[in-house]
Amino acid sequence: MFGLTAHKRTEPPGWGSVCIFPAALALALFLGLGLLALTGRPPLAVLGALLSGAFGSVRAVEETLLKTAPIFLCSLGVAATFRIKVWNIGAEGQYALGAVGGTAVALAFPGLPASVLLPLMFLGAALAGALWAAIPALLRQRLAVNEIITTLMLNYLGILFLDWLVYGPWKDPASHGFPMTALFAPGAVLPRIPGTRLHWGLPLCAALGLGLWFFLSRTRLGFELKASGEGRRTATYARMPYDALVLLVMGLCGALAGWAGLIETSAGLGRLQPTVMAGYGFTAIVVAWLARLRPLAIAMAAFLLAALRVGVENLMLDFSVPAAFGRILEGLILLCVLAGQFFTTFTLRRSKPLAPNPAPEPAPKPTGEAA
Amino acid sequence: MAAAPPDTHPLVRLEGITKHFGAVAANADIRLDIQPGKVLALLGENGAGKSTLMAILSGRYRPDAGHILVRGEPVDFASPRQAIDAGIGMVYQHFMLASRLTVAENVLLGQEGAFLLSPRKMQAQVAALAEEYGLGLDPAARVADLSMGERQRVEILKLLHRRSRVLIFDEPTAVLTPGETAQLFAAFRALVARDRAVVFITHKLEEVLEVADEVAILRRGRVVETLPRERVSTGRDLACRMVGREVLLSVDKAPLPPGEEVLTVSGLSGDGLEGVSLSLRQGEILAVVGVAGNGQKPLVEVLAGLAPPRTGKVLLLGQDWNEFYTRPSWRGSLCYIPEDRLGLATMPGMDVVDNVLLTTRRGFSRGPLLDLGRARTVVRDLVEEYNVHPRDPNALAWQLSGGNLQKLVLAREFYRDPRIIIAEQPTQGLDVAATEEVWERLLLARGAAGVLLVTGDLVEALQLADRVAVMFRGRIMDTFPATDREKVAGIGPLMAGMRPGEAGA
Amino acid sequence: MNPDLIIPLLAAAVQSGTPVLFATLGEMFTEKSGVLNLGVEGMMLCGALAAFVASLYTGSPVLGLLAGGLAGALVGSLHGLVCLTFLGNQVVSGLALTILGTGLADALGTPLVGRIAPGFGPLALPLLADLPLLGPVLFRQDPLVYLSYLLVPAFWFFFARTRPGLRLIAAGEYPAAAAAAGLDPVALRWAGILGGGFLVGLGGAYLSLAYTHLWTSNLTAGRGWIAVALVIFAAWRPGRAVAGAWLFGGIMAFQLRLQAAGTTLPSSLLLMLPYATTVLVLVAAAMRRGAARGSDAPEALSVNIEPED
Repeated sequence: MFGLTAHKRTEPPGWGSVCIFPAALALALFLGLGLLALTGRPPLAVLGALLSGAFGSVRAVEETLLKTAPIFLCSLGVAATFRIKVWNIGAEGQYALGAVGGTAVALAFPGLPASVLLPLMFLGAALAGALWAAIPALLRQRLAVNEIITTLMLNYLGILFLDWLVYGPWKDPASHGFPMTALFAPGAVLPRIPGTRLHWGLPLCAALGLGLWFFLSRTRLGFELKASGEGRRTATYARMPYDALVLLVMGLCGALAGWAGLIETSAGLGRLQPTVMAGYGFTAIVVAWLARLRPLAIAMAAFLLAALRVGVENLMLDFSVPAAFGRILEGLILLCVLAGQFFTTFTLRRSKPLAPNPAPEPAPKPTGEAA
Repeated sequence: MAAAPPDTHPLVRLEGITKHFGAVAANADIRLDIQPGKVLALLGENGAGKSTLMAILSGRYRPDAGHILVRGEPVDFASPRQAIDAGIGMVYQHFMLASRLTVAENVLLGQEGAFLLSPRKMQAQVAALAEEYGLGLDPAARVADLSMGERQRVEILKLLHRRSRVLIFDEPTAVLTPGETAQLFAAFRALVARDRAVVFITHKLEEVLEVADEVAILRRGRVVETLPRERVSTGRDLACRMVGREVLLSVDKAPLPPGEEVLTVSGLSGDGLEGVSLSLRQGEILAVVGVAGNGQKPLVEVLAGLAPPRTGKVLLLGQDWNEFYTRPSWRGSLCYIPEDRLGLATMPGMDVVDNVLLTTRRGFSRGPLLDLGRARTVVRDLVEEYNVHPRDPNALAWQLSGGNLQKLVLAREFYRDPRIIIAEQPTQGLDVAATEEVWERLLLARGAAGVLLVTGDLVEALQLADRVAVMFRGRIMDTFPATDREKVAGIGPLMAGMRPGEAGA
Repeated sequence: MNPDLIIPLLAAAVQSGTPVLFATLGEMFTEKSGVLNLGVEGMMLCGALAAFVASLYTGSPVLGLLAGGLAGALVGSLHGLVCLTFLGNQVVSGLALTILGTGLADALGTPLVGRIAPGFGPLALPLLADLPLLGPVLFRQDPLVYLSYLLVPAFWFFFARTRPGLRLIAAGEYPAAAAAAGLDPVALRWAGILGGGFLVGLGGAYLSLAYTHLWTSNLTAGRGWIAVALVIFAAWRPGRAVAGAWLFGGIMAFQLRLQAAGTTLPSSLLLMLPYATTVLVLVAAAMRRGAARGSDAPEALSVNIEPED
């Protein structure tokens, strides 16, 4: 195509690969803004509103940080599963189950002090999320059922389960028919960091990120997890417990996504209602693919995509851009990054023209021997 | 174009063909004629440049210099398709057949002849072609149900359907049983009887002696000699010409007193094995030889702990298989050096240190943590000791050449002080220098361990082994010391399933 | 069992299953050429919107149908660009396409929520509609359902008896062999993506032009994903796809009827039925397959074709 052919690189790409993500981001923004321009919204103004919405004030930055937390947690988990080549797209459902699990504890023990109740809620959320993730993991292991579909179906089932609870058994009688639980007792609400609108979920995220980094780079189990990403055969060769590792990683992802759900429910809303579902599980896929299993990169990418969401909210106000525009941008970013990653594995060179060999000598007299 | 008597005009002439891969000259100024009605054998060691040359002829690669003349006309193939159109076709070692489709569909793919397809007509067409060349095949059979020999025949039919005049075969007998090999050679004769040219790449001397009309010997990218079959006296003669020095790299092998028995196998059966029994002692190298696909893989998988033994007994260091593999120690037990260097033994995307940790991680563990500092130091020492390039421990595994990767694997595995070493085709694809290094290491290692060397390379087996076991169809035909000249001479027939004293031995 | 209840349910099953059938056949077409396209949900929704808009502004549901198919192919071509040209990971690209496609359709469709466009209504076929049992179930449907009846055998015939069909299969089983035979496997896969995308778009168009005649958010409700699962269940064979699609249609129709009949079962639980069934269906397919037979999938499915050196 265009007189260029692709050749596999023999050396690693070096500085080039760092450029790919920003270039892809720029391209995706360009396309997204272009789309908006077609509907009459001036692109530069839109870009400005996007940026100011995300970073333009202390409140905006706080809002971005608040959204970073659930995305970060889900992404940590999803990145771990992608690393071991398990295509877990069920973070959304695991998030829902985590919210449910934590809420169950909160509603059951409203009188307990926060120092006891909150850890219990986290435990409940982790167990519920991990269980929800274990189901497709076991199906994959025992029956070779495709995990893409099962995790996705469990998304729908998890969200519908949440819906059923808040429309049914857990509905607050004082809510006038709106689907929501009663307000959480003060002991069940994740407290704010004094002086800010941020909650303690954020330092928790930082701690978890550090913990995961340490786990992966310094522990034997973390090493085995990374190494298992090469496949079951290598894992068996090296006598690593591949099946157990897959289950562990999925459970870990479920727990992390579950904590994301809990944090949004407890600190964000103070009660469980269907609006806790915000598609963070899908955004996590984008982050996980961009950042792989590097906690720092995950943090940065999560922050970026959170900024995008907050910025788009601003666009909704200023330019009546529909909320789904955020998803358009996420999809475009991922597609552009996928295309850009081509250049980390391949280089383009001019196709060799027809070899300009000099004309051969006239056919020699036939002999029997070739030297 | 000057008219020339047809029987002396070469069908294909290669002149001055040169091809570089990076700094290495895979082919250098090669000149070769291919005549119709003859079988030409391209002989050479691994890395001599045979496959590259044929890849150029069949259109997969472009030469850096030189010409190809087909029937006197210069040609320049930009793709295999163009080569096929010019009448040159290649049968690769790895067959390119869609297993779910039928023989007829595979043969006619790309030249189906009409928009609407009738399976019956297609099968009739292919049946006629097969009959003409004596290649028995059921055109309605699915390729998935065919044996290797039958699949190879489908590949031949593909070329014939495209009216190939020159058929090139790359190591065609590597995957065939002796019976299928005989059928293949009969097919060669049928092809040349119809004025086709057959070229086959091989490193097996006995095949050349059996079926070739002409031999071209390649060494280090050059054609060192071409001669008609009549001028070749013995296999040994050919081998010398192939290697260019007194045959067989010789390594210093002082026999060691055999130690205790480290591995005992009795009556191992199932999954392609039939009553395999062998014993391995510390201090010796036992070579298991045979044509690929005769049970070596299943045997290795059981011994290396990748598959459980179905029936029979396996004792490793005195322990039963189950016991041994429940919690195998990382040190002082068994190590396995697989054939699949990059995909199984190492992790291509991870660095040298991580690859060394792959099987030694427990040796660097302090509780749940890894002592990376000590690991790096050890890796640096190992890399130095085993002469692995590049020396950088951050290099990724895929960046290492085959020889260096193998040395790294050896370094890692021998660091584990194994008592049993299972080495599978350890020098496959390596150049002479790397091969020698690997051989030295294996010989050294047997001081503390028993080495089971699974290889298809008889030269390697006879160089290194104290004892030789020959496998055929999952059975050990015979086990004997490497010094037993009579039995060594009879290895060929044993590999073909013929016991001494049977016809043709 | 009361025939007055069964027959309308079966008829509704066929109708409800038809968009899933189109989408399943579309994804099957793409997968047979070796490309895994998980963006079906997004493509279907875009097809639904395009069909709706075209029908709304031209007054012709047939033009709407065409627009729906073209939209599906167009969105699918992004997947082709990323995977066939840039060798991107097929799984992740499909997911990205779902995110993008659903986002696009939701965003562009927001001003149209609640509007009604001209669509397809039931068209009883003379003579056939009067057959006992089969008549009311199969032959009193809208024209697109009849189209699906023709599509299934055509699909089979295309792959079993035509040259392009054989070539597409080769691209999905062993692209290198296709290349050695002088074909262009990448071009064949493009055909697989565009053709399959068109069918998926038709499935979406059905939802906004025949199943309903209006536009709301989340019109597809996961049907695209169910289609991907059904391709596995159908072992890449069109006949089985019909069974699966109509089974799902039946479940969705059954669930709607229960709700309409004023059941005490909460709607959230009822809505779970199709998704739970999908999981069960996959488990059943896996158990049926067993370890011995191995996968029925095209051998080179989701494996990109890398350029030769």
